[in-house]
Amino acid sequence: MEAWLEWARGPLFRAAFVFMILGLIRHVVLTLWEVSAMMRRAGDKAFPFSRIAKATVAWLFPLGQLKNRWYYGVMTIVFHVAIILVPIFLLGHIALWQRGLGISWPGLPNRWADLLTIVAVVTAVGCVLQRTVARDTRALARFQDYALPLIIAVPFVTGFLVMHPAMNPFGYEATMLAHVLSANLVLVLIPITKLNHCVLLPTTQLVSELSWHFPPDAGEKVGVALQKENETI
Amino acid sequence: MSHKSKYSYYVEDKALSTTDRPRKFLEAFAAVLRFGNYNLALDTYARVSAKCGRCAAACQLYETTHEIRDIPCHRSELLLRIYRRYFTRGGMMKARLTGGFTLTDEYLDQMAEEFYRCTACRRCKATCPFGIDHGLITHLARWLLAEVEVIPKALLVATREQLQGAGNTSAIPVPALKDTCEFLEEELMDIYHTKVKFPMDVEGAEYIFFPAVSDYLLEAETLMGNAAVMHVTNGSWTIGTGNYDGINYGLFYSDRMLERIVKNVVKEARRLKAKKVLVGECGHATRSAWYIPAFGGPDAPPVVNFMQYTAEQLRKGKIPFTDKRIEERVTYHDPCNVARAGKIVDEPREILRAICRDFVEMTPNGRDNYCCGGGGGTVSIDEIREFRTKKLGKRKADQIRDTGAKYLVSPCANCKKQLREVCEDNGLDNVEVVGLHDLVLKVIDFGVPEPSKSGAEDESATEKKE
Repeated sequence: MEAWLEWARGPLFRAAFVFMILGLIRHVVLTLWEVSAMMRRAGDKAFPFSRIAKATVAWLFPLGQLKNRWYYGVMTIVFHVAIILVPIFLLGHIALWQRGLGISWPGLPNRWADLLTIVAVVTAVGCVLQRTVARDTRALARFQDYALPLIIAVPFVTGFLVMHPAMNPFGYEATMLAHVLSANLVLVLIPITKLNHCVLLPTTQLVSELSWHFPPDAGEKVGVALQKENETI
Repeated sequence: MSHKSKYSYYVEDKALSTTDRPRKFLEAFAAVLRFGNYNLALDTYARVSAKCGRCAAACQLYETTHEIRDIPCHRSELLLRIYRRYFTRGGMMKARLTGGFTLTDEYLDQMAEEFYRCTACRRCKATCPFGIDHGLITHLARWLLAEVEVIPKALLVATREQLQGAGNTSAIPVPALKDTCEFLEEELMDIYHTKVKFPMDVEGAEYIFFPAVSDYLLEAETLMGNAAVMHVTNGSWTIGTGNYDGINYGLFYSDRMLERIVKNVVKEARRLKAKKVLVGECGHATRSAWYIPAFGGPDAPPVVNFMQYTAEQLRKGKIPFTDKRIEERVTYHDPCNVARAGKIVDEPREILRAICRDFVEMTPNGRDNYCCGGGGGTVSIDEIREFRTKKLGKRKADQIRDTGAKYLVSPCANCKKQLREVCEDNGLDNVEVVGLHDLVLKVIDFGVPEPSKSGAEDESATEKKE
C-alpha cells in the first residue's frame, strides 16, 4: 500500500499535473493564435474591446449575475469558490510544494479549510441534484455533467477523512491513496472535459464578438468554392 | 409552387427536390469554416458548454412553450454535434471507433424546423456564463441550410426581387418611388404648410438615405417625420434611385446574400458620392449596414441610424418643437438588432422624453429587452403568424399590456409589423404601433403661423382615427 501511495503522489501526480498544465497551455495558445487570425481576417477592425472586457469581468466574478435562477447561481458560485480555494490554499498542500519545489504561499487556517471542504461536497451534490430536478437542465445534461461534480467531490470527501482520522472508518493509507488518485483523475480531466473553462472562460466573450466580424469576401469565396457564384437566386 | 407540408413555413420546389443533402451540407460547412470566421466559436462552444440551462430562463419562446427543443443550448447542440463529428479530430476518431452520429436528411429537416423557431434575438447570450452566442449559431445554421436550399419562401422571394428583379424587396419601381415621395411632399404641404423635400439623386450629399423600402408603402408618417427632421435641421441628404432599399434578408439566412446586398448599398453611396449612409427606422437594416466597414473596403462610408441623427440634432438644439407634447402614454420597444449590443439605447429615449409627457419603460428594456417575436426574418413568414404572435410574441404582449400605453413606439419595420399583429392577436386593441419619427412629426415646429397649423393637426388626428 505504501509503495502504491508513493507512486500515486510521486510520478503519477507529476504526470497528471504536467498533463493538465500542458493541456491548458495548448488550449490557450491555440485560442490566442486563432483569435489573432480572426482579427487579421476581419473586414471591420473596430473591435469593441471595452464591451468585451466588461462582459468577461462580469462573468469571472459573477455576483452581479444572480437574478436569473438565483438559487442555481448561489450554489454554483459557492461551489466554485470552495473547490478553487481549498486545493490551492490548504496548509498541508502548501507544505508539499515547499518540500518538493521550495515554494510556498499563505494558506487557509485548517478550520476554514474544513468548512470549505464540507461546502464543496454539499454543493457538488447539490449541483447534481438541481440538474436532476429541473426539467430543462435534465434534458440538456450529458454524462459528464452528472459525473464531473461527483468526481470532483471525491478528493474533498477523502481529504476531509484524512484530516480527521477519528471520523474515518477506513485505513489512513487507503483513504490517502483514494484521495491522491481521485485528485490526479480530476487534474487529467481538466483539459479534456468542460472543466477546460478554467482557462477558456476569459476568452469566450471575445470569441463570440469576433465571430460576428466577417472577413470581407467570405461569402463570395464560399460561393466560388461551392460553384454557386453564377447561380440565380 | 411552394410546399408547407414538410416545414411550418413555405419553401420552394427546389428545397424538396434537392438530393444528397447531407453531403452538400457538409461541403458548405467545410467551405464556410475555411473562409469565414466561425471556427473558433464552434470550437470553443463545443468545448466549454456546461449545459447549465440559464439560457432557458432567458428565452421568451421556451418560457412560453416549455418545449425542450426551444432551449437555446439544446438547439445550438444540433449544429455543434455536426461540427464535433465531422470537423474535429476527436469526433472523427470517435466516429471511426464507435460509429455514433451520422448526418441524415431527417436531421437536416429537424434543424430546418428548429432554427426557424429562434428569432436570433440573442437575449440568451447575456445570461450565458460563457457568452455562448446562440444567435450566432442560428445565423450560421440557417446559412448552411440555405446552401441545401432550405430557405423560407418569403425571405427567398424578397431577396430574389432585390438582387435580380426590381432592385428592392418590395418591387417598387423608380416612378412609383418618385410618386410616393411627391405625395408625401404634398401631404406635408397640406398639413404643415411647409415645403419639405425628399431629394432624389443629389450628388455629394452628406447622407444617402436607406429606409426599409416597405416604409414607402406602409409608413408614410415615419418617412414624413424623417424628412421633417432633415428639413428643420437643414440636413444635406438624398435618396438614390439606383438603390433605395435598406432591407437585407441576407442577415437572416445567408452571409453570401448579406455581403452582396451590403456591397450594393456601398455602390450606390459611391455613385452619388454621399459621405455617410443614413439608415431609416429599421433594426435589421441598421445592423446589416453596420457591415459596411466589413464588406465595403477601406474608404467605406460611415453608417448613421436616423435616431442617432435626430438625437444629435436635438442635443445641439437644432430641432424646434411647438408647445404641444404627446399627451397620451408612450412606451418604447427596443429592436434587438440595435439594442442588444447596447449600440442604440439612449438616443430614442432622449428624443421621447423631449416630446412626450408620459413616457413609460417596459420591463425589462434596453439591452435586456424581449424580442417582438418576429425577429430573424420570421415576421415575413405569414404562414407562421399564430406561432409568432401567440408564442414568440406572448411575452411582448404581456409587457405592452403592463405599461398601459396608447402609443407603442418601435423604430423598426419588422418589429412594427409583428407588434401590430401581436396586439391584434392578443387583444391589445387600444395600442397604436408607431415609429419614433411619427411622433416627432406631431410636435415639430416648422415655423409657420400657429392657428393654421393647430387646425391642420386636429385634421390629421381625425384622419388617423378613421
